[in-house]
Amino acid sequence: MSTSATDKSAQRVDISPPRIMGSLSHWLIVGICLLAVIVFFSTASEDWFTIVNYTLIAAIAALALNVLSGYTGQVSLGLAFFMAIGAYTAALLGGSPPTSPLDPQGWGLSVFIWLPAAGIVAALVGALIGPTALRLKGFYLGIVTLALVFIGQYLFKNLASITGGSQGRTFPAPVFGDYSFTQQNDLLGITLTSGQQYFLLLLPVLALVSLFVGNVMRSRAGRAFRAVRDHEVGAALLGVNLFEAKLGAFILSSFLAGIAGALFASYTRYVTPTYWDLTLSIQFVAAIIVGGIASIWGSILGAAFVFGLPLVIDHFALLPPAGNGTGGLTSGDLNALIYGALIIVFLLFEPGGVIGLIHRLQALPNKFSLSKGEGGTSPEIINLSPDSVSQLELEDVAPAQRENE
Amino acid sequence: MAYFLQLVFAGVVQGCIYALIGLGFSIIFKASEVINFAQGELLLVGAYVVSSGMFEWHLPFLLAVVLGIIVTVVIGLLFERLVLRRMIGRPVFSILMITIGLDIVLRTAVSVRWASKPIPAASPFDINSGINSGGIHFGTNDLWTIAVTIIVCAALFYFFRYTKYGLAMRATALDQEAALAVGINIRTIYALAWSIAAGIATISGVFLAIDSSAITPTFGSAALLAFPAIILGGLDSVSGAVVGGLLIGMTQILTAGYESHVTNILGAGFHEITPYLIMILVLLIRPYGLFGTAKVERI
Amino acid sequence: MIDAQAKSQQPTPPTTPLLTVEDISVQFAGIKALTDISFQLQPGEIFAVIGPNGAGKTSLFNVLSRVYQPIAGRVMYDGRDLLRLKTHQVARVGIARTFQNLGQFPTMTVLDYLLLGRHTRMHSGILSGGIYLGPTRSEEKRNRSYCLNLLNVVGLQHLHNYPLGSLPYGLQKRADLARALALQPKLLLLDEPVAGMGLSETDEIAAIILDIKEQLGVTQLLVEHDMALVMGIADRILVLDFGRAIAQGTPAEVQSNPDVIKAYLGEEFGEKSPDITSTPTDNSRQTP
Repeated sequence: MSTSATDKSAQRVDISPPRIMGSLSHWLIVGICLLAVIVFFSTASEDWFTIVNYTLIAAIAALALNVLSGYTGQVSLGLAFFMAIGAYTAALLGGSPPTSPLDPQGWGLSVFIWLPAAGIVAALVGALIGPTALRLKGFYLGIVTLALVFIGQYLFKNLASITGGSQGRTFPAPVFGDYSFTQQNDLLGITLTSGQQYFLLLLPVLALVSLFVGNVMRSRAGRAFRAVRDHEVGAALLGVNLFEAKLGAFILSSFLAGIAGALFASYTRYVTPTYWDLTLSIQFVAAIIVGGIASIWGSILGAAFVFGLPLVIDHFALLPPAGNGTGGLTSGDLNALIYGALIIVFLLFEPGGVIGLIHRLQALPNKFSLSKGEGGTSPEIINLSPDSVSQLELEDVAPAQRENE
Repeated sequence: MAYFLQLVFAGVVQGCIYALIGLGFSIIFKASEVINFAQGELLLVGAYVVSSGMFEWHLPFLLAVVLGIIVTVVIGLLFERLVLRRMIGRPVFSILMITIGLDIVLRTAVSVRWASKPIPAASPFDINSGINSGGIHFGTNDLWTIAVTIIVCAALFYFFRYTKYGLAMRATALDQEAALAVGINIRTIYALAWSIAAGIATISGVFLAIDSSAITPTFGSAALLAFPAIILGGLDSVSGAVVGGLLIGMTQILTAGYESHVTNILGAGFHEITPYLIMILVLLIRPYGLFGTAKVERI
Repeated sequence: MIDAQAKSQQPTPPTTPLLTVEDISVQFAGIKALTDISFQLQPGEIFAVIGPNGAGKTSLFNVLSRVYQPIAGRVMYDGRDLLRLKTHQVARVGIARTFQNLGQFPTMTVLDYLLLGRHTRMHSGILSGGIYLGPTRSEEKRNRSYCLNLLNVVGLQHLHNYPLGSLPYGLQKRADLARALALQPKLLLLDEPVAGMGLSETDEIAAIILDIKEQLGVTQLLVEHDMALVMGIADRILVLDFGRAIAQGTPAEVQSNPDVIKAYLGEEFGEKSPDITSTPTDNSRQTP
């Protein structure tokens, strides 16, 4: 046993976790993005703000789905249900008080209350439903979440005092003092349109959500999620509490879905219960498949594709907008055809979505170098000598978890 | 009383439709362990082609039905051959999603070709003709629905019990490797399963159309109600699909018939979710359904 | 002989066994996979379980890692009733297990896999993980450092960022072993650690197993087919056949046990004397 531990220091790799803002290239990218955002902000028309804002909201929901299905592997068609819960919580807490007996309820609270509450209530509903639903797996879980959407629609159609029944209701816009996002307001001498104001709210929210989810996924919980997705029994053998992991993912996903739902309803101003249907859930599944399963950027890309693109096509009037009853290709149709076909194509050939494709292309050079060096290491390198063993003592730094049963 | 019996009859008819749709799911699942989410849209395509056949191209009813069956069988075979073959061994989520992909493509294609205006359903008999007895109206079309369902079930029973391919399909469902070992061509079996399922989809589509008197692109979602039927019956039981379908159909119609009495508590549209509530109950109490088999898992 | 040396190094006063297995029986779907299996593991020893295919080794393994529930018997581990634990609690009490068939986590990087092995020794949850700054960050740093050092020790450090699925089989097995060690276990269950390996790879693994015993003092139980490995490094061996224990003892004792030879070892070494069959009803048997 010749090579000692000290020789290894020459080969020692960077031990710190990959840092988000670690390298110069990262800072450069952030700088360019910031510049792009500023340019966009000052020059884009209100129509473009609509497109971008809807994409930002959809990205949050896509992230929510990715947390549950992409990272943790739990089949779910129920995203629409949790989005609706968030939206109606926001409506109840933040909506304007009813002016007539037929108006739906609203307590007129501030956005700082109704927006987080939307997430929290959706998370609570998730915590309630999760333990029962997550007993099932695969197709069965999918079908139960599907049932949830239908049951939800039934409830929303009937709880008219909150949802406005089949006719729908208005949803609160963020209001700061006298300033409501629904009108143009002056801030520090600059006039901001409604779209711009929403943008200033949505972009940071998406950034925060992305950061949060990214952090979770690179820490202990995220590894547990992926282990559950890849091999449940194996994960349990490694000490992962399957129930806690699945439920945790479910609750986090529901929270984010609730936020997205509230933001969507707020931005759209008026929504009927038929909006929160199975098609909506499926669109988000399409988004994460096309964009990239278990990927933050994948969620954003996928959302841009499934939700942003039809709006872009509408904007340029390339095709008649959806809802045109005389047949022929509408923008919604073309989009559905494309993402339906892309689901098939991606699942067949690149299950990792666009992001997976990018990673695969990036990893090509590595594959060639691996085949050179992988022949196995010589026995000398494998050594459990006292020097190296002492490095393994970690009891004083990280005491073993208290065993609780 | 007559009202109740009328509802029972309607429930049986609805149940037959769900049974047929459920059979389509069940056959594909039995043969290849795939849940074909696109079964509803195959149904839709079938119904549209048949109606177009009758009203646009002025074909006689039976010919239109044959045309419909041919179209759906071709779609099913193409999908099975080109897409599903390559998905063998992939996780459940992916396979489920890929059939959803097909579902989206089909539904959109229908919407593009035929628009969202409802078109009339093709029916062999006049909608209003029927036998009246004891205060109950037995519509001719409805009676045919029941009759055809019985014929299809009998035909399938004979097929599975007594024909070479039927036995081969059952063998494949039980143990693919063993089936391969005795020389069964699994690919043929899969293709056959999809063809039968597609054909049944068209038939059930025709009857569902008659039942709803017109077809719209959102038709396919009615097929979703077959999921509670097959789960109640047991995913891997073909007879379970039939029994489950009948029970679900019956429950739904009866609920719809009587829910006006309890609108203040239950509100409107409760009958639309009763199948799902039943399904959830089944999944919690007896997940493999009435006739399904609980699998022993060896890790 | 290695076992003779190891024996002479063992402390003479009897120590409390780390694991006590009493009359374990396992049954499923009418098949009795194990019948009345009993043995003890002394701390720090290497204990091997051998037997032909279908003898019940995997079932025993799965009972100890709490994947199967036996229909009878007791298992005491470190003073606690092991059978009352659920699968995911096993890691928490310091039992680590390797996998026989790999490929459970193909997309996970080697380093992440080891960190996953330390799941029960880390604390951060969803909320603290999401915030990251503070306790989670330092926890991640410490544990990454530990795992990278461990990878260094088994010679896989340069591959820490590669997904497991991209590694050749032998290296995957080594990574799996490192992952089991990452838990800092008291008891290490090794499931056919040299399955599918050539001579030199087997020697490497054997060296690691011996080092684990001598340097880390971890108790090891291995299930294996490779006779050379087992006879070479095991302190004691349990031989199973058709779910029953047919012999238990040191390699020397087991090798000379006539029941073992009859049932298993004879065929294993290719000494196919036409008279020695495993069918008890064969009347033409003659002892050579």
